[in-house]
Amino acid sequence: MYALPYLLLQRLRQAAINARRRNRTGRYLVWSVLAGVTNAALLVLGITFVVLLWSLSLWWLALAMIAVLVVPVVADTLVRFVFVPRGYHRLAYHAALYSRPGTDPPAYALCVAAWASMNGTAIAWVSAKRETRRPLGDAEVAATAFLTATRGDDATARELLRSLEMIVEDHPAVRELAGEWLACDAAERGAWHELLDHAARARWPITPLAYLLEGIAERHTGAPAAPGATELWARWALAPRHRATYALVVDALAIAPGARVPPGSPASPEAVNATEAAAPGAPEPTSLPRAVAAHLAFEATPATAATLAYTVRAWDTALADAATRSWLARRALELDAPLGAAERALRDVAGTVTDDLARLAEAAQLGAPPDVGGPVGHGLARRLRHGRLDALEAAFSRWADRRHDNTQHPSIDEWRAFIALWTAYNAAVAAGGIELRRLAFPHAFSKGSNMAAWLWNKREEYALSHAISKWLLSEALVVGDSEAIELGHRNCALAIPTRLGRIQT
Amino acid sequence: MKLADNPFFVLGVTAEASRIEVEREAQKLLGMLELGFAEARTYATPLGPRERTAEMVRAAVAALRDPYRRLVAELWARHAPPPRAEPAARQPPAATRDGLRRALGWRP
Repeated sequence: MYALPYLLLQRLRQAAINARRRNRTGRYLVWSVLAGVTNAALLVLGITFVVLLWSLSLWWLALAMIAVLVVPVVADTLVRFVFVPRGYHRLAYHAALYSRPGTDPPAYALCVAAWASMNGTAIAWVSAKRETRRPLGDAEVAATAFLTATRGDDATARELLRSLEMIVEDHPAVRELAGEWLACDAAERGAWHELLDHAARARWPITPLAYLLEGIAERHTGAPAAPGATELWARWALAPRHRATYALVVDALAIAPGARVPPGSPASPEAVNATEAAAPGAPEPTSLPRAVAAHLAFEATPATAATLAYTVRAWDTALADAATRSWLARRALELDAPLGAAERALRDVAGTVTDDLARLAEAAQLGAPPDVGGPVGHGLARRLRHGRLDALEAAFSRWADRRHDNTQHPSIDEWRAFIALWTAYNAAVAAGGIELRRLAFPHAFSKGSNMAAWLWNKREEYALSHAISKWLLSEALVVGDSEAIELGHRNCALAIPTRLGRIQT
Repeated sequence: MKLADNPFFVLGVTAEASRIEVEREAQKLLGMLELGFAEARTYATPLGPRERTAEMVRAAVAALRDPYRRLVAELWARHAPPPRAEPAARQPPAATRDGLRRALGWRP
């Protein structure tokens, strides 16, 4: 009789949480409130029953009921506010197991233990737990990312967590933690656009804290659907860490909706230059001083695609300018320079500038600007494309050679190697455009499909193999490689054995 | 860009300086560097001050004696912004919130 309302409330709570996981709208708040109310009701019911048993002198049964009825309800709160902050990784692991996180509780528990890890002993303990879980799935990758962050390598942690979107095994509780880490990390760096971009792409379930940070990011970026003050305060009330998030909310609300400039439309150097040129009394800048000034400004400020394009155009204009050429020819004569010195000087300057811009563009992962036709523009495009292509091909070959080095690498290392390549490939094709993508894909496909087959057949790492095949298929579709598309469809059609059952995509 | 190593900036002369002026300035700088004059140890460039050595002075004079190399050096020096004796102002850092992740319950 007592069990029935408890079980009903528990089902209602889980239904509210599941519904919340599918939402990123105002309904999220409603489902969260419902989940909170049912949680409180479960707690009251559980404690009442325990008190009743205790008053009937059935203390032994009361203790058992505490474990069965009360602990699972408060386990998540204990994890977040006690065990993780204090670094009690083992307690966090067991509490998470008890918190009824859905199918495969050890997956969530592993991530929570990694989250709580503060030192080498804890990291070793969690790593050992992870190694017992094969094949690799999203929880093992997320736990590795949290451990990597604990060691201070945020960049790798970020890439590992972003890679979860490729893995077919999907534990909602694990994805919630991964999404929260990425949101907190982006908020710390002030990368509001990145936060929203990730949220839009991954579409993972979201925790109340990540939901609040997304709302703040929408305010900062002037998103049309940015929450108003009432909704943002409601999200704040729902999220944990009120003291830490209060200032964030106040800052976000101080921004008028739509006030911030979205990325891609910064105040362009052209606009700045036009303003300066239009100033009354300002001398008309000639093309060469403008190019040198643009180059110096490009070196001194964080490089963007817009400033690179402006600098390249400024140089190509300056080097093609008749005034520059006639000045050089005249000075070459006056200095008694060898025949052809003026043309050679122009080539040398173009080469020096191209080298310099290519170095800065590589460092900032920028591609050659489109629609540039001068010696600097062409040289830069050629340099960036060839350099990146060579580097990619060498890296894919090294990766594929891992099959033959007679060393059994841990599965997570195989995944990390692929993620490093995947990141480099994405950066290269984002910078080099479809032309570089078409050139890079055949080699990536040849090595990648071999590795995917090896991971599936020899290592029995089905989720990892499927992720690689799926990525190769998506690339094949982009570049239109019919043979690769056919093979990709065949590989991706295989049912993938995971801890959550066989998944057919 | 090797603008900071431009021979005209290393020697502290304008791009219009004659060959005699260049030689005279180089001799003066070499003497001052040998005697340890503090004002000779740095020179102004459009990118801010740089350290000057006797080897750099000799290399700069040698470059300006070659008509072709002088032509290229002039191309840069004549069209560059004026040299600055003070270091360039640092760009304000991006609006980061150090420690926020920890405050929100995540490490490190």
